[in-house]
Amino acid sequence: MQRFPYGGAAFALFLLTLISGALLLAQPIPKKTATLTFWTFAKPHYEAYLQAIPAFEKAHPGVKVDIQLVSGEAVARRLRAAFWADLDVPDLVETEISTAGTFFRGSLENIGFTDLTDRIRAEGWDEKMVAARFAPYTTRGRIFGLPHDVHPVMLAYRRDLYEKYGINAAELDTWDKFVAAARKVSIPGKRYMLELPDADAGRLEILLFQRDGGYFDADGNCIFDNEVAVQTMLFYVPLVAGKGRIGNALGWGQETNRALEDGFILTMFCPDWRSKTFENEVGKVKGKMALMPMPAVTPGGRRTSTWGGTMIGITKACKNQDLAWEFAKHLYTNNQDLAERFSGTYIIPPVKAAWDLPAFKKPVPFYSNIPVGTAYAELAPQTPPQYGSPFIELAKQKLGQAVVACVARYNQQGERDFEAFVRRTLTEKADEVRRVMARTPEFKSADAPKEAVAAR
Amino acid sequence: MSTTTSLEKTRPAASAAAGGGGSWQRWQQKAAPYLFLSPFLILFCVFGIYPIFKSITLSLYATSGPKDIAPVGLGNYAYLLRDPDFHRAVANTAVYAFWSIFLQLPLALGLAILLTQKWVAGKNIFRWAIFSPNLMGQVFVGVLFARIFMPQYGLLNRFLEWVTNGRIPADTKWLNNPDLVMPALVITSLWLYVGFNMIYFLAALQGVDKELYEAAHVDGANALQQFQHVTLPGIKPVTVFVLITATIGSFQLFELPFLLLGGGGPDNRGLTIVMYLYQNGFNSGDLGFAAAVGWTLALGILAISLLQMRMSGGFKAAGD
Repeated sequence: MQRFPYGGAAFALFLLTLISGALLLAQPIPKKTATLTFWTFAKPHYEAYLQAIPAFEKAHPGVKVDIQLVSGEAVARRLRAAFWADLDVPDLVETEISTAGTFFRGSLENIGFTDLTDRIRAEGWDEKMVAARFAPYTTRGRIFGLPHDVHPVMLAYRRDLYEKYGINAAELDTWDKFVAAARKVSIPGKRYMLELPDADAGRLEILLFQRDGGYFDADGNCIFDNEVAVQTMLFYVPLVAGKGRIGNALGWGQETNRALEDGFILTMFCPDWRSKTFENEVGKVKGKMALMPMPAVTPGGRRTSTWGGTMIGITKACKNQDLAWEFAKHLYTNNQDLAERFSGTYIIPPVKAAWDLPAFKKPVPFYSNIPVGTAYAELAPQTPPQYGSPFIELAKQKLGQAVVACVARYNQQGERDFEAFVRRTLTEKADEVRRVMARTPEFKSADAPKEAVAAR
Repeated sequence: MSTTTSLEKTRPAASAAAGGGGSWQRWQQKAAPYLFLSPFLILFCVFGIYPIFKSITLSLYATSGPKDIAPVGLGNYAYLLRDPDFHRAVANTAVYAFWSIFLQLPLALGLAILLTQKWVAGKNIFRWAIFSPNLMGQVFVGVLFARIFMPQYGLLNRFLEWVTNGRIPADTKWLNNPDLVMPALVITSLWLYVGFNMIYFLAALQGVDKELYEAAHVDGANALQQFQHVTLPGIKPVTVFVLITATIGSFQLFELPFLLLGGGGPDNRGLTIVMYLYQNGFNSGDLGFAAAVGWTLALGILAISLLQMRMSGGFKAAGD
C-alpha cells in the first residue's frame, strides 16, 4: 500500500474529517413531535394559552400543540427571514400590530401567511367580531390574521390626587375641558396632568385615531398629512411645548410607574392591556387609581381610541391548515377561555358575545372598584380602525420626526405661522413615506408625487 | 556532515518510491495541496466571494424580500444619495466618528501615558478598572446606561441637578431629546472603548526605546518636546492602526444606538449608516437597497482609511 505523501499526521486529520463528516450526515433529523407549533411574543398570552391548550388537545385526540414564547423582535425579524428563505416556520404565529403590516410587503402570493378571508367570511367572524379590528391585518382586500383584541383606550388617573386638586373627572368629557383643568394643576418640571411625549408620535397617534385619522387609509395611501392630522398636531404640540404645557413622558416601564406613584404625572393613556400592567406593577397606588373614558374632541363625540393589537396568523407552510384554523378559533373565540384570559390580562376580546360574561363585570379594587371589563366593553364598539401597511414602521418614524420639528418650532416661535409650519412639515414627512412606497415595485401609491415615482 | 549524508541517502529512496507509484502517485502529489485547501476555498467562495458579487447585482434591484424583485439599474444609489434619512445617518455617523477620534483617542493615550509614569501607584488596578468595561457585552452596557440616563430618576440627572443646583432639571431626557442623543452615545462609547484603546497605546509606549528619552534629556528636551519628538514618532504605527480601526468601528456603529434608543431615536438623531441599512434591509425588506447602502458604506470606509493612511504616512511605514 502506498504511503500518504504528507505523512501520518496529515493522513490522520484527513481521515478524521471524513469520519466526522460522515457521522454528522448519518445523524437522523429529529422528528417533530408536535402536530402544531405556535409562536407567541407576549408572556401574558403565553400563560393564558397554556391553560387553554389541554382542552384543545383533549377535543382532538392525537394532536399535540407546542407553544413557544418568542421575543417580539424575533417574531418580526426571524420569521420574516424564514419566510423569505423558505425555512422552517411555525404553523401559527401571533404578531404585534405595528409589525404585522411589514409581513404584507410584496406580492400577495409571496406573503408567508395564509389568506384567511374566505374562512372568516364563510363563518361570519367578520360580523361576530369588531369589524374595525380586521383593518390592520388586511392588505389589498385580503385578511391574513384573526384579531386577538380590541384595545379601546381610557384614561387611568390618580383619583386621590384629582380629588386633592379639585378636579371632577366626570366633568371632563371634552378635550377643551380636560386641557383647561390640566392647565390649573400642571407645573412644568414638577407635575403634569397627562402622559404625553414631545419626541415621538406614540400618543399623538391615539388622538389621531380618535379623530378617524391615521397613518394610512383603507386603500393603503399615506394620509398623515391630511386635515385631520394637521388639526391633531395643532392640538397636540401646545400640550407638550411652550409655557402652558400639561404633558410629559419619561419613557417606558419603571420610570413611568414611578412617575405615577410620585404624582409626577397624574393621568396615563390606558388601553385595556395597560390597565393590567399598572395593576401588576404599580401596587402602591392600589385603590387610588380610577378609569375614565377619553374626553371627546367635540361634545358627544367618540370617547375612546385604540393602542396596540395582536393577530394570529397561519403560515402557508403549515401542513394542516384546517386544524390550525380550529386551534386559532379555540384560542380566540372560546367563551370560557376568553373569560379566564380577561381576568389575567383585562384584554377585551373582539368577540362581542364574550363581553356579557360575569368576569367582565367584576369590580376591580385597584381602580376604585370600577368594573374594568364593562368600562372597556362599553367603549369597544366605538374603537376606530387603524389601517396597516408594510410601511407602517417608516410612517411612525416620520410622524415622530414631524412631532420633534413642530415642538422645536413651537418652543422657539410659539403660535406665529405655526399652522403653516405644521402643514408644511407633515406634507414633507408624508411625501418621504410616499417616495419609499413609490420605489417599491408592487406598492406604487396612487398619491405618490410624480417625481418620486420617477425616482428610479 | 552526517546530516547531509543522511539526506543524500534518503533522496534516491524517496525517488524510487515515487517512481514506483507511477502516475497515481504523481497525481496525488499534485492534487494533495488543492485537496487540503479545498475546504477553506469552498467555504470562502460560498460564504465570501459569492455573497460579495451577489450583493453587487442585488444592489441593482428594487426588492420586497428576495422573491419580489425588479431591476432598477443604479436607481438605488441615486435614491440613496437624495434620501434625507441617509444624509442624516451619514451626518450622525460622521459626528460620532469625529468625537471617537478626537476625544476618545487622546483620552486613551493620556491615560496610557499616565499609567506608564513611575510615580503612579496601583497601575495594574487602574489598568484593569479602565479596561474592564470592554469585557462587558454591549447589551449589558446598553441596559446599564439606559438606567443611568433615565429622566427624573436616573443617576446622571440626579447628579447634574445636585451639582448645578437645579439648573439642569432632573427630567432631562438624554435619550429622548434630539439634541442630547449624540452626546449620550458619545459618553457611553467613551466609557466602553477608552480602556480598550488605552491598552494598545500602553503596549506601544512600552516599546519605545528608553535610551531615546535619556538622549533627549541629555540634549535638554523638556517633557513636551520628548513627547513630541520621541513618544509620538515611536508609537506612530500603533496610532495609525488605532486611528483606522476606531474610524472603521465608528462607521460600523449599530449596537449602542440600537440598544439605547431602540432605533434611530428622536428625529433619527441616533440613526447610523449601519442602522439605516438594517432598517431598510430587515425591517422594510428592501434587500437591494440595503445592498446599495452596504456598498456605499464599504467604499466610504475604504476611501477614508486610505486617506488616513496617506495623511499619516502609513503607506511609507508599511513600505519601509
